[in-house]
Amino acid sequence: MEALLNTGSTIDEGRLAKGGNKYSEDYKTECAVCWVCAEDFAALGCPEKVKVTSRDGVHSVAVSTKVTESVKSGHVFIPRSIWANVVVEPSTFSTGSPLYKGSPVSVEPTDDVVMDAEEIVLKLYMGEE
Amino acid sequence: MVYKNIICPVCGGSCDDVQVELKDGTIDVQNACKMGNAKFQEVVSSHRLLKPTIRENGKVKDVSWDEALEMSADILANSKRPLFFLGSETSCEAQEVGLHIAEYLGGVADSNATICHGPTVMGIQEAGCVGSTAGQAKNRADMIIYWGVNALESMPRHMSKYGVFPRGYWAKKGRFDRTMVTVDPRKTPTAVASDLHLQLKPNTDYELLSALFTILNGKEPHPSVEEITGIPIPVMKQTIEMMKESNYVGIFVGLGVSSSYGKHRNIEIALNLVKEMNNYTKCNLGALRGHCNVAGFNQLASYLYGYPFGIDFGKGYPRYNPGETTCVDVLREKDVDAAFVMSADLVNHIPADAAKYLADIPMICLDIAPCPSTTASDVVLPGVIDAMECDGTFYRLDNVPVHFEPFTDSPFPETKSNEDTLKQLFAKVKAKKEA
Ligand code: SF4
Repeated sequence: MEALLNTGSTIDEGRLAKGGNKYSEDYKTECAVCWVCAEDFAALGCPEKVKVTSRDGVHSVAVSTKVTESVKSGHVFIPRSIWANVVVEPSTFSTGSPLYKGSPVSVEPTDDVVMDAEEIVLKLYMGEE
Repeated sequence: MVYKNIICPVCGGSCDDVQVELKDGTIDVQNACKMGNAKFQEVVSSHRLLKPTIRENGKVKDVSWDEALEMSADILANSKRPLFFLGSETSCEAQEVGLHIAEYLGGVADSNATICHGPTVMGIQEAGCVGSTAGQAKNRADMIIYWGVNALESMPRHMSKYGVFPRGYWAKKGRFDRTMVTVDPRKTPTAVASDLHLQLKPNTDYELLSALFTILNGKEPHPSVEEITGIPIPVMKQTIEMMKESNYVGIFVGLGVSSSYGKHRNIEIALNLVKEMNNYTKCNLGALRGHCNVAGFNQLASYLYGYPFGIDFGKGYPRYNPGETTCVDVLREKDVDAAFVMSADLVNHIPADAAKYLADIPMICLDIAPCPSTTASDVVLPGVIDAMECDGTFYRLDNVPVHFEPFTDSPFPETKSNEDTLKQLFAKVKAKKEA
């Protein structure tokens, strides 16, 4: 499914990040989550997890799903965090600021493991296996 | 002992009424929100970074402060073009030293604004800004518009302290005297608490603002704008009427405006709409700045070097060209060869291409807790918590400078503050360059 990705704060994301708990299970539970509407969730086959892939197809990240009334069909939301930023559009349109709101992404069901924040740094960014 | 009127160093709200009591290994915090309280707990937390570390042959080991500063100075002195990311969760005084090191080394200096309200600042450069202090809006505003910002979760006390609920001189009944409107593609808790929610489609802020501008000028917007934005034209007209009939409209913008398609042009047209609206009523626009002292970096960099963020000293004088001299761009284009990251978890907050390159180059990180940036760093310098363990200056969301006093001391005999750490680092860098 093609979608526009919105990212932003949630109160618990803020509480855990500011409290230095980015490597906690709670942070992963709060942030490694893709919010979708019921209609899109059904169209995806009601998956527990989805793989979200960046517009250029180069980067992808597995996250859990959450059904919500707060987004409309074709739009998804991931709390501001390392998971969301793996797939955020890096082009800044000559402003310095990436497209944290409204990045085009694709979303598909997956069985991949949801990595924790430290694993993303070590495996995706630092290339350790 | 109870300490009163402590400034919270977490978001741009800079709440100045926090009360803390330090007991044996615990801290009791009153008045701060969940986010603020979590950071105050860092003073006594078990995961606080207390020892400098370096990465050697892939292994991380504890070292003395002197060794860590030596290695940091080596990295910076040997770099052709270092990036200094001078984050917002520290004082202007520390940021100032960082800017001077960047200038001395011919590096690039940037701060959270670049990945936050940078486009808002650019929009202000284009259009000028009818602004006000938070107190003006609190005392006068009878209509509050949150555009592209979920205030309840990004600056949790904004509504209760500055925006919606407080009783003001001309808004004596607080919430009952104010109309609250939210413009957001998502039905956020802020939108739910509003009197009117315009749930526009993502990336259509410019079109909606243009249509509102057209209506304000007495013309009919093109009918296609309904399909594009998802907002019926009668609702747009109603919004403009509500604004014109108010005595004072306070608009607060967030990343929903500055970070979606259109970027600074969204802000530019919003500011032009605000100017035009002042022909009918008082109206101003301010950014809800989510990072603590992000406004401070803009003020400081502007008065020291003439530009608010993304400053490149590579040619021996300051240059500013967003998209070229800004943090995400220099990393994505692999245009820097080392990085110093202070009081901001940059690896967590930037897109994968930029984060991957940042993890590849030698990086020094100054922070208080383990996070993706400390994991990817070659040197980690423990941070001192501003407003809790040292004094200094923040700029609040409305660009009002706030001096803060600590209620306890730095836990490190080697440094009093991040400013102190940076001064020590600068002395070592100079000694190496001038040897
Ligand atoms: S609103 Fe911001 S400044 Fe105020 S207590 Fe919460 S985090 Fe701290």
